[in-house]
Amino acid sequence: MTDRMVLRADDLGMCFHGPEGEIRLFRNLALNITAGETVAILGASGSGKSTLLGLLAGLDTPSEGRILIGDTDITALDEDQRAILRGRELGFVFQAFHLLSGLTALENVMLPLELAGTSGASETATRALADVGLAERRGHYPRQLSGGEQQRVAIARAFVTGPRLLLADEPTGNLDQTTGGRVSDLLFSRNREAGTTLVLVTHDPLLARRCDRVLQLSDGRLEAA
Amino acid sequence: MKELRYAARLLRRDWKAGELRLLAVSLILAVTAITAVAWLADRVAGGTEGRAAELLGGDRAVIGSEPLPEELIEQARQRDLTLSRTLEFPSVVLFGEQTQLASVKAVESGYPLRGSLLVGGDPDDSARQTREVPRSGEVWVEPRLLLQLDAAPGDTIDLGASRFTIGKMLFLEPDRGGGFQTLSPRLMMNQADVADTGLVQAASRVRYGLLVAGAEEAVAGWSAAIEPLLGDGLRLQRPGQGQAGVGRAIEAAQRFLGLSALLTVVVGGVGMLLTIRRYAARHLDRVAIMRCLGATERQIGLILSWKLFLLGLLTAAVGTLLGFGLHLAMLALVADLLPELPAAGWRPAASGVIAAQTILLGFALPTVLRLRRVPPLRVLRRELGEQVLRGAGIYPLALTAVFLLMWWQAGDLRLAIWVFAAVLGTLLVLGLAAFALVQGLRALRRGRSGIILRLSGLTRRPLTASIQIMALGLGLMALLLLTVVRGDLLATWQDSVPTDAANHFLINIQPDEATAVEQRLREAGIEAEVYPMVRGRLVQINDETVRPDDYPDPQTRRLMAREFNLSQMATLPEDNTVAAGSFWDEDAADPAFSVEVDIAERLGVSVGDTLTFEAGGSRYSATISNLREVRWDSFNVNFFVASSPGVLDDAPATYITSFHLPADQRRLMIELVRAYPSVTVIDIDAILDTVRGIMDQGTRVVELMALLTLFAGIVVLLAALQVTREERRFEGALLRSVGASREQIRRLALGEFLLLGGTAGLLAGLGAAIAGHLMASRLFELDYAFNPWLPLLGAGAGALVVTVAGLLATRGLYRSSPMQLLKGAEEG
Ligand SMILES: Nc1ncnc2c1ncn2[C@@H]1O[C@H](COP(=O)(O)OP(=O)(O)OP(=O)(O)O)[C@@H](O)[C@H]1O
Ligand SMILES: [Mg+2]
Repeated sequence: MTDRMVLRADDLGMCFHGPEGEIRLFRNLALNITAGETVAILGASGSGKSTLLGLLAGLDTPSEGRILIGDTDITALDEDQRAILRGRELGFVFQAFHLLSGLTALENVMLPLELAGTSGASETATRALADVGLAERRGHYPRQLSGGEQQRVAIARAFVTGPRLLLADEPTGNLDQTTGGRVSDLLFSRNREAGTTLVLVTHDPLLARRCDRVLQLSDGRLEAA
Repeated sequence: MKELRYAARLLRRDWKAGELRLLAVSLILAVTAITAVAWLADRVAGGTEGRAAELLGGDRAVIGSEPLPEELIEQARQRDLTLSRTLEFPSVVLFGEQTQLASVKAVESGYPLRGSLLVGGDPDDSARQTREVPRSGEVWVEPRLLLQLDAAPGDTIDLGASRFTIGKMLFLEPDRGGGFQTLSPRLMMNQADVADTGLVQAASRVRYGLLVAGAEEAVAGWSAAIEPLLGDGLRLQRPGQGQAGVGRAIEAAQRFLGLSALLTVVVGGVGMLLTIRRYAARHLDRVAIMRCLGATERQIGLILSWKLFLLGLLTAAVGTLLGFGLHLAMLALVADLLPELPAAGWRPAASGVIAAQTILLGFALPTVLRLRRVPPLRVLRRELGEQVLRGAGIYPLALTAVFLLMWWQAGDLRLAIWVFAAVLGTLLVLGLAAFALVQGLRALRRGRSGIILRLSGLTRRPLTASIQIMALGLGLMALLLLTVVRGDLLATWQDSVPTDAANHFLINIQPDEATAVEQRLREAGIEAEVYPMVRGRLVQINDETVRPDDYPDPQTRRLMAREFNLSQMATLPEDNTVAAGSFWDEDAADPAFSVEVDIAERLGVSVGDTLTFEAGGSRYSATISNLREVRWDSFNVNFFVASSPGVLDDAPATYITSFHLPADQRRLMIELVRAYPSVTVIDIDAILDTVRGIMDQGTRVVELMALLTLFAGIVVLLAALQVTREERRFEGALLRSVGASREQIRRLALGEFLLLGGTAGLLAGLGAAIAGHLMASRLFELDYAFNPWLPLLGAGAGALVVTVAGLLATRGLYRSSPMQLLKGAEEG
């Protein structure tokens, strides 16, 4: 069973120290995600979706509890070790695309490969761009691409390292409905082809419904919807 | 190495996006300043030190005011050394109606023993080297002399009692040396002709020289053997030593230039501190994304460091090129003051690279490296991460970098500390004054609501405004000091010289000519006292023998080591007053000395003490009967020590006089020189013109340097404008959306720039006036009146420069529609 387990969170809790004392966002959260699954986390604005995703990605450390990616307890790692693990095991798609404006589409896709020191980065990245239908835009800079195209480049970048787990935060949040629909089509089909596990955070029920499993985050609790 | 590749790629994008422009310009200006000075120093030093033996004209030289003992020559001959004697003395050259004081050098064949003369046939002819010397009956002259006399090669000139043909033009003589003798142009003649001119008489002012050359050991042996034989009037010189005059002046000038180059670095550094935070802030997202995608802190640090390193190389390349050009321009300004220079070397380019990297290391790297700590969570929460750039921890490193550069340029720790403190102090005072002014304006704003808008930018960003004013002020102040204040000081000095002050000196008048010369002057309507002048050394005060070493004060020691110019006079000169004791009666005078007050104080003597001088092998004693105060600025002949008639009658003397010669009577000098060839006429006006010329040339070089500082100040202005650009854009959009016209907004900006520049200029003018006053009173002992125009001039110049630069920099900012502006402001 454990070898099929990709992501697991036990007793997860998060609180912030605000000016009016402690703000507890959630506590005793538990989550188990198995390989190949697609999971949506749905919740109102401010419910803590992004915070949870950040914790699962190892971008932040929880106030309590632990998180396992594969067999690795990421709450026990330091920031650099988590960075290396992110580069190797995780892929990201963000609402704001987050491409580097100084690099071309191809260079953006190559970036995680090069940071990890993988050889043949250029060929792998070219293929990844072709997979999202942007082979001929490889030399363009983000500025020269539409929002939808930028997000497709971001999807190519997310899959290029062959990650075990893909994390997406409102991937269609900055796009109009038609474009958003096309981008999410692409995301799901690429995910199916690559056999990746996908965790996606959104407040859009339509998008959430495309996943195998939908969880609802509200009042600090995570429940199946 | 992939980090290097990323660094290069990202740097290219930054450059294209215009994010690096100001940072790069600050650096380029700094490198330009430093390399220009480095090249100047390198080549001038190479031109003087590299050929030390040539500069001496031989392997050793003995030079001085006494005739050379025969023993020196004997010793040289015994050791098989080649030798050559020289004689140098000032004399007036006559060509038709023209006269000109020349510095004559009489040489023997073989001269110079090391190096060679550079001569040419006519002014357009290319110079060539020669090992010959002028033939008998021929003189070679510096082109300058031909110009002054309006003569040409082939013409004949009179020198003393002889007539010579101008043979060649003398472009360069290796051992020309420096100091005052270079002020009058060179005339070179054959030593065999000297006797006939009658120019060299006993007690004439002549510099005797002996050059020797040969095997190293023999030369060393000779030096050791003859050094003890040399009296006080002769000095042995080795290569690289003793060419004090110009060499030391050049060295001092170079240091000064090097340090003023650092002003540009300091101001440029201020600009860099202003822009670097914003530049780094633009990296926050990138770094967060890279961290998110798996980059380690080390990788980020490497990429950022490589990026700065590459930036340093690029700016160093551009700055070095500009610096090379600037040094050529500076050399062109002072070309005729310098010897022939060696070709430019590569080392200054290296100093450009070192400087650029040091500046980046001190001013940029600490801030940029903080980016390593940007939390990757920023990809989800945009407000995270800005705080890593905050904090004052970056200043100590910047200050350290500046200090290290200063130390390097000054080559002297103490000097570096002083300059560092002075620059820091000036900046601090300027900054505080600026801040106070801005706060004052703020108070004004509260009082009168009508000018709220006009003052808005300045008063709402008091700190940025103060920094802008400070940096601009420093550049403007340097420039004002070098132009207006220097002019003022010269004018003040000239004004302090009375118009009827003596402008001609006659020296070397022989005893049997004295009465006749006085007579001839009186016939021409010139009342001039002709004084005897005896050169004597002070050997005894009362009954005690005195030596230079008895005086701790170095100036007094030097005074004692030299010979005093003593005179003998019957009456008190008009511009002297008796300060103590009483002056002797014209007819019945007991033997007595009269001593100038300051000198008496230095020597520790007073009325009643007895002084003994030694002159020409005999001793002359008398008691001090009075102390005199002397007005030196009358330019009259004056003496520190004078005796009553009779005391110095037996001592060897020449006569000397000074007088004011109206311009329309210059012919008189030609007559005098023809009648008394050995008399030397010194035309003070001509010498002052030359001095002024040299000063002008020198300061123009420094002015170029100050211009660079001003440019750096403008960069600070632009940097500050860039930092506040978004704010301005937003303000503009806001004002337009509530109905302000484009013209009104433009006027608002105009008002701000005028005020900013005006304030900076005002402070710079005040600063320059104060500095000028300090310099005048401390350095030159002049009464320099505060120039009320200086702050006004500064304010005007500052307002103009800042307004033009500011309007150009904000050109496109208010052109677009309010909607676009608001949108643009969001994107940042
Ligand atoms: N570092 C922090 N310090 C203080 N409060 C925080 C911090 N991070 C998150 N919060 C708070 O936690 C709550 C949840 O934020 P989060 O961004 O996770 O919500 P979200 O569900 O993603 O909302 P949205 O749908 O608008 O993106 C918010 O109220 C936010 O202000
Ligand atoms: Mg969110």
